[in-house]
Amino acid sequence: MAAHFDTEYQRLEASYSDSPPGEENLLVHIPDGNKSPWHHIENLDLFFQRVYNLHQKNGFTCMLLGEVFELVQLLFVVGFTVFLANCVDYDILFANKFVNHTDSSKVTLPDAFLPVDVCSARIRDNVAVMFVLVISGVFWLHRLIKFIYNVCCYWEIRSFYTNALKMSMGELPYFTWQEVQARIVEIQKEHQICIHKKELTELDIYHRILRFKNYMVAMVNKSLLPVRFCPPLLGEMVFYTRGLKYNFELIFFWGPGSLFKSEWSLKPEYKRGGNRLELAEKLASRILWIGIANLLLCPVILVWQILYAFFSYTEVIKREPGSLGARCWSLYGRCYLRHFNELDHELMSRLSKGYKASSKYMNCFLSPLLTVVAKNVAFFAGSLLAVLIALTIYDEDVLAVEHVLSSITLLGVCITICRSFIPDKHLVYCPEQLLRVILAHIHYMPDHWQGNAHRYETRDQFSQLFQYKAVFILEELISPVVTPFILIFSLRRKSLEIIDFFRNFTVEVVGVGDTCSFAQMDVRQHGHPAWMSEGKTEASIYQQAEDGKTELSLMHFAITNPQWNPPTETTQFISQLKERVQREATGDVHAHTHTLTSLSESEPRSLIANFLAGPPSLASLHLGRDGSLTNQGPVGISDGASGLRSLSINSMRGSYSSTHRSAGHTSSASRAMVGSSTDARTASSGSSAWEGQLTSLVLSEYASTEMSMHALYIHELHKQQSRGELSRHTWHRQDSDDSGDSVTEEGAAGGRGPDPRHPIPRSHTFPVSTPTSIPSSNSGPPPDRGATPGQEEAPPNSQRRHWGNADSVGSDGRGVRLARVPMGGWAEEGQGGRHPDTVPEEGSDDDMPPNIHKVT
Amino acid sequence: MNCRSEVLEVSVEGRQVDEAMLALVHTILLHRSTGKFHYKKEGTYSIGTVGTQDIDCDFIDFSFVRVSSDELDRVIRKAVGEFKDAMGNGTDGMGQISLEFYQKKKSRWPFSDECIPWEVWSIKVNVVNLANEQERQICREKVGEKLGEKVINIVEVINRHEYLPKMPTQSEVDNVFDTSLKDVQPYLYKITFQITDTLGTSVSTTMRRLIKDTLAL
Repeated sequence: MAAHFDTEYQRLEASYSDSPPGEENLLVHIPDGNKSPWHHIENLDLFFQRVYNLHQKNGFTCMLLGEVFELVQLLFVVGFTVFLANCVDYDILFANKFVNHTDSSKVTLPDAFLPVDVCSARIRDNVAVMFVLVISGVFWLHRLIKFIYNVCCYWEIRSFYTNALKMSMGELPYFTWQEVQARIVEIQKEHQICIHKKELTELDIYHRILRFKNYMVAMVNKSLLPVRFCPPLLGEMVFYTRGLKYNFELIFFWGPGSLFKSEWSLKPEYKRGGNRLELAEKLASRILWIGIANLLLCPVILVWQILYAFFSYTEVIKREPGSLGARCWSLYGRCYLRHFNELDHELMSRLSKGYKASSKYMNCFLSPLLTVVAKNVAFFAGSLLAVLIALTIYDEDVLAVEHVLSSITLLGVCITICRSFIPDKHLVYCPEQLLRVILAHIHYMPDHWQGNAHRYETRDQFSQLFQYKAVFILEELISPVVTPFILIFSLRRKSLEIIDFFRNFTVEVVGVGDTCSFAQMDVRQHGHPAWMSEGKTEASIYQQAEDGKTELSLMHFAITNPQWNPPTETTQFISQLKERVQREATGDVHAHTHTLTSLSESEPRSLIANFLAGPPSLASLHLGRDGSLTNQGPVGISDGASGLRSLSINSMRGSYSSTHRSAGHTSSASRAMVGSSTDARTASSGSSAWEGQLTSLVLSEYASTEMSMHALYIHELHKQQSRGELSRHTWHRQDSDDSGDSVTEEGAAGGRGPDPRHPIPRSHTFPVSTPTSIPSSNSGPPPDRGATPGQEEAPPNSQRRHWGNADSVGSDGRGVRLARVPMGGWAEEGQGGRHPDTVPEEGSDDDMPPNIHKVT
Repeated sequence: MNCRSEVLEVSVEGRQVDEAMLALVHTILLHRSTGKFHYKKEGTYSIGTVGTQDIDCDFIDFSFVRVSSDELDRVIRKAVGEFKDAMGNGTDGMGQISLEFYQKKKSRWPFSDECIPWEVWSIKVNVVNLANEQERQICREKVGEKLGEKVINIVEVINRHEYLPKMPTQSEVDNVFDTSLKDVQPYLYKITFQITDTLGTSVSTTMRRLIKDTLAL
C-alpha cells in the first residue's frame, strides 16, 4: 500500500551487497559475546531457590550422594519387608518344625528361607502385597525420575557456584548464606541475572525464594486458612499437615487453574475487584473438585503415607525409641512463628534454640496423678526386674526358662515409660520464666499467655505449636482421610475471603513480580499500632498484621541482613527501635532517668531492666549450667544479665560470667552485650564483606542475640501498651473475619475503654471460642467503634499499589461499610492517578457516606 | 518474569486497525533492528547499513518511519492481517498483539532450547464503531495524534539504558538475531495475538507446570 510513497530517503543500492566496497575503512566492532551463560535467567524464582537448596544441602556431591542413598534405602526397605513377610519359614526359626539334615543337626539361616518359586508364588497370590509393591514401585520410579531431573538442574547451579560465584563445592558448607547472597548481589552488576534492575537487593532474593511461603505466613497470620477446628469431645485443636499444605499450595499457587498465572504473577482478573463474587464462586468449585479428587485418591495416598511413615520412621524408632515421646515444632507452629522473609535455615536455627526451653516448659505440666501411678508401677516393675536379674546373675540357666528374657525386656520398657512421667527431682517449677526464654527465641506469642504461663490452657495452646512427634506422625497418617473434608467443608466457605486477600495484599514490585504486600515489611502499610508503630502506620485493621508480625519481621530482616538498605521511613523505624533498646540496656537500670523528651510519660520504664531484673530472673533457667542459684538473692539483676547472655551461644561470652557475677554490674554486662554485638555488626557491615569466615559467623550469632533482645523488648512494650486497650483484639477477630470491613485505626489511642466482656486480651491468631470470635457471626460492630476520616490520602508509594475493594456486605445483606479505604482496580493504565476519594465502583455502597457509624 | 513488558493502548475504527498496528510494530522494530553483521577473522565484525522509509497511512493522518526492508514488511503485514481477520470486520472488539523479543539459550541434551523473552510489547486495540462521516473525520485526526504520542512513548522506552542481549560472536548470532532476512537483522522476535481476554491458560501449559512441579525438589 505504501510502496509508492517512497520519499527522498532512498536506500543506497551499494549497501545492499554482501560485502560493501571499501571494507577496510568501515567501522569494525568486536562482539562481547555471551561469555557467561548467567545473564538474563528466565526463571529467577526457581534459580534462586535452587541456589539456596544447594547451599543448604552442602554442595553438589553431598546432595547427590544423599539422594542416591535414599533411593537405595527405599529399595532395600521395601524389598526386605516383603522378603520377611513372604519368604521366611518362621516355623523353622521358632523350631516348631524340624528339618532333617543328613550331616549335622544345626539349623542354619538358609534353611528358613523358602525356595524362590514358592516365595514368588506367595507374593503373586497376595493382593495386598502386590498393591503395596505397585504403589511403592511407582513411588520409587517417581523418585528416580525426580532425581535424574534434579541432577541435571543442579549441575547447572553447581557451575554457577564455581564459575560465577567463584565458590568451589568443597568449601561451600563453610560459607554462610549471607555470604553467598552478597556474592550474588555482587555478580548481578556484572552478569545481569535480573534484567530489570542494575542491582539486586537482599530483599529481592528473599522475595523470590519465599514468595509463596510469605503468602502462607500472612494467611496464617490473618487466620484465613482453616486449620483450627473444634471437634466435639476433643476441644479446640489445630490440624495442619503436609498433605493439607500441599493441597493449599496446589489450589492457590500452582495447580491447574490456580490464582497464579506463573510463579511470579497473579492472574490479572484476580487483581481487579470487579467480579470478585464470580471469581470466588469459581474458586469454590475448584476447591470442591480438588476435594473430591482427594477423596477418590484417598486409599492410594493413605497407603503411600503409611509406607512413607514406615520407611522414614521405623529406622529412627528402632534407633532411639524415645524419639516418639520427644516433641517437635508442628507445621502450624512453623507457619505461625515464621517471620516474613525468613528462610528455612534461619527459622530452624531459631526454633532449635528454643527447643530445650520449650520441652522443659512442657515437662512442667506432668500430671500429678499420673506421676503417682507411674511411681508405683515403676516400683513394682523395678522389684520384679531386680529379682529376675539377680537370679540370672546367680545362675544363667534362668534365662533358658521360657519367657524370662522377654519379661525382662518388657519390664525394662515399662520402667522407661514410667520414668518419663516422673518429673526430674531437681526441676524447678518456673513456667513464666521459661516462657520468656522461649519467647526470646520464637519471637511470637499470643498476648494472653503472658502471666498465664502456669495455666493448662496456655500449655495446651503451646502444644499446638510444639507437639509430640508421635502425634505429628499420627496426624500425617490420618491426613489423607481428613484433608478432603477440610477442603470441601471449610476452605470452600472461605473462598471469597481468599479472593479478597489475594487482591488486597498483592503488590507488584519491579524486578520481583507479584508478592505478598506484607512481605514488604512496610510499617506504614501493615504496621500495628499496638506494636510500636503507633502513629507511623496507616493501615486499617484489615491491613494490620497480627502479633506484631510486620515490626518483628522487619527487625529480623534488618538484623540478619545488615547490608540491606531499607527505604528511609523504615530505616527510621529500625534505628529508632535499636536506639531505644540499646539505651534501655545500657542505661542505668536503677536510676529512672527518663529525661529525654522522646520517652514520653506513657513510655514504659526500663523495659530491659524489667525483664532483666524482674521477679522471675531469667538466669534461674540456666541454673544447672551457671550455678548462679547461689547468689540469686542480692544480685538478681546480674543474674538476669547472665541469663540473657546465655540466650546466645553461651560459650562466646563465657568470660563475662565470672567477672560480672559478683556485683550489680548489670549495666556494664548488658551494655557490653548489646553494645559489642551492635558494634561488631556495624563494624563489619562498614568494612568490605569478606573478612573471612569468622566474622560472618560471629555476626550471625550476635544477630540472633540481638534479635532476641529486640523481640523481648517489643513484646514487653506491647504488653505495657495494650494494658489500656484490652478490647482491641476481639474486634480484630471480627473484622478480619469479615475480610474487608475496614476501620481506620488512627484513633486507637483515643478513648478505648476496656471491653467488659473480654477481660483478657485475646490475640488474633489464638482465638478462643468466645461468642464474638466466631467468624461471620456479624453481630455488628461494637458501639464505640471509631471511624475516623483519617484515610483521605492514599499513601504515596513507589510501587503500584493495588487497593482492593475492601467493603463487605454483611450476611444480612446490608453494607457494613464504615470507613473507606482507597480502592480501585488493578492498574488501569489509561486512568492515571486515581484519587482515592472518588466514588467507589460497586453500586451497593454508593449511597453510604464514608464515615458512617453503623450502630446496631 | 525476567523480562520487561510495555503496554500500549489505542482505540481505533475498524478499518484503521491494520495501519495502526503496522505503524506501532514497525516503529518498535525500527529501533530493534541492525544492519547485517559481517564477521571477519579475528572475531570482529562490521555492520551493514539499513535504509529507512516513510510510510503514509490511508485512513489515519499519520506517517511513520520503517526499516526499508520489504521482506520484513511482508512478514509483519501477514501477522497483522491475520490479526485483523481474527478480529472480524467492523464490529466492536478488543484485541491484543504482543511483540516479544527473545533470545535462545542452548541447553544440553535432555532439554530443548529455551526461548527466553527479554522484552514484550503488548499493544491493546479497542475497535469502536462510528456513526457518520464527520465522526470518522475527527477520528482520523485523533488517532493520528494518539499514534504520534505512542511513537514518542516507544522512543522514550527504547532510549532508557536497559538490558539488551550482548552482541554475539559468529556462532551465537542466531541466538540473538533473526538472520533469515537478507537486508536487515532484527533481534529475534515473535508476534502473537489474542482476541478479547480469554480466561485461563491452556491445558498444555498447566500440564507442563504440574509435571515440572512434581519433579522439582
